Amino acid sequence: MKLAPVDYLILSLYFAFVLGIGWLVKRKVSTSEDFLTSGRSVPVWITSLAFIAANLGAQEVIGMCASGAKYGIMTAHFYWIGAVPAMLFVGVFMMPFYYGSRARSVPEYLKLRFDEKTRALNAITFAVMTIFSSGISMYALGLLFELVLGWSFTASVLLSAAIVLVYTFLGGLTSAIYNEVLQFFLIVLGFAPLAMLAVHKAGGWTGMASRLPPVMTHTWKYVGDASQNPMGVEAFGLVAGLGFVLSFGYWCTDFLVVQRAMAADSMSSARRTPLIAAFPKMVMPFIVIVPGIAALALSHMALGYSIPAKAGGGLDYDQTLTTLMAQFYPSGMLGVGLTALMASFMSGMAGNVTAFNTVWTYDLYQGHINRHAPDAHYLMVGRVTTAVGVGLSIATAYLASHFNNIMDFLQLVFGFVNAPLFATFLLGMFWVRATGHGAFSGLLAGTTAAAATHGLTVAENKGGWLGSVLHTFPSTMAQNFWIAIFAWSACFLVTILVSLASQPKPASELHNLVYGLTDIPHDAHLPWYKRPVPLAVIVIIALIVLNLIFW
Amino acid sequence: MSDLRIPIGIFFALVGLLVGITGLAAGYRAPLEFANVDLYCGISMLVFGGVMLWLARRSS
Repeated sequence: MKLAPVDYLILSLYFAFVLGIGWLVKRKVSTSEDFLTSGRSVPVWITSLAFIAANLGAQEVIGMCASGAKYGIMTAHFYWIGAVPAMLFVGVFMMPFYYGSRARSVPEYLKLRFDEKTRALNAITFAVMTIFSSGISMYALGLLFELVLGWSFTASVLLSAAIVLVYTFLGGLTSAIYNEVLQFFLIVLGFAPLAMLAVHKAGGWTGMASRLPPVMTHTWKYVGDASQNPMGVEAFGLVAGLGFVLSFGYWCTDFLVVQRAMAADSMSSARRTPLIAAFPKMVMPFIVIVPGIAALALSHMALGYSIPAKAGGGLDYDQTLTTLMAQFYPSGMLGVGLTALMASFMSGMAGNVTAFNTVWTYDLYQGHINRHAPDAHYLMVGRVTTAVGVGLSIATAYLASHFNNIMDFLQLVFGFVNAPLFATFLLGMFWVRATGHGAFSGLLAGTTAAAATHGLTVAENKGGWLGSVLHTFPSTMAQNFWIAIFAWSACFLVTILVSLASQPKPASELHNLVYGLTDIPHDAHLPWYKRPVPLAVIVIIALIVLNLIFW
Repeated sequence: MSDLRIPIGIFFALVGLLVGITGLAAGYRAPLEFANVDLYCGISMLVFGGVMLWLARRSS
């Protein structure tokens, strides 16, 4: 791929604007809460778009396009039964507790609702995980730019990290959120034309369907039997594992996304943040997944285009997006497309860094190391942590480039820790009787159950390290879904049993933390388009229609 | 900053102009696409940036 001067000019213009936004926002930062939580002052249209953009990292964009080419439109399950229903749930049911509790972070909610040990467990694993995932995506980006543009790995990693560092250091969360909105529009305007051009060239949806096996253009028709679809999953594992446990676990408990809603300027805005975000989220598959399917169709059309092969055999699906750009974008739009890729990377990384510095400063530093310092001290700690977080991400990126196996192993372990989380929050928010001992032992039991499931089952030669193999899954994806199901169930049961056997918190300490002891905001005086439930109903109807169209 | 729509509007108007002018002046073509992608996408981004600026101006 060869770039013209205009492409570099567009990329530089983008860098100038993100830094400029950071500079303009800087004036608003005078306390640690301004820096780490935006002082709860951001308008709802901004938090909504940031809510999606923080998750729309480069790995998401590249990975979804790759999955489109590999699994077809079934990939849209990650949106249509995965992310979107979970976003509705967090907005309608969970935000009253997150926002109403006045907690500054998700771990802090756990401290208020349960106890210190539950918060510490969640804060530590979350902090390590955010650094880890921002490092991994930095590594993926450096590798990709080296491969398609011949840029030096070190140069692209350091330059992009430095820019993220400068604007998050200057303006904190507000700067990250404002830039995420710019990045969101850039991702949409940079990739949507590519989707249209590729689909048009492949003969539209019907043209694509006629060139591909039918399983690539149907979401539900082939999930009755795991052997009939390329994901190797069956309907129950898909709906319960992905649709319920994993998606709700991520969108409802991950501070990276929840933080965006918690920065909103009112309870009503906080609740509407994920609901408004659900509208664009619903149509993202057409921008990020459908081009991948079109790429596969195009490679059957004797146009001279094909998805590149991997050195070790098979196709290198991760190159689908960039090779499509090279085929359909001339210099000019090519610059916009690459800038969009850079933007998606930066929004993901800034999301990780701003979540990391809040959890470190408030939950670990203020919670355990230095409790009673003046606020200026925590602002300074927040700023320093931002720099440390970026530095650790870079270190992780280099670690990933040298020790890929360690990264795979860590990713697996974090999966075990994360899988049960949603059970803890569900019981914490909707069952007054749940206790701190219950939550903590439930989390440990869930993680153990996840590890045990992985150790006792095999999929694509992965797992089975406990000696005896009780079950063989058709794919690692199916294995992951079932690990999540077992982890969630174990956490749910153990939390209930231990809670019943331990001393509950008095009701006076649970105000605004649990259903039944919280004033659920009345919004009957608002027009319907500003009320959570009508918005959620519209999204559900649209989701059903989408699932039926692509059945 | 008073309104985020202003920097976003300026950014897309500038990028739209740059890409649109590239489409008119250089007339680059992609390997698989013979339409003037730069011109059409440039105009779209210019319009998007303009709408953002118009919205910001209207509400101030």
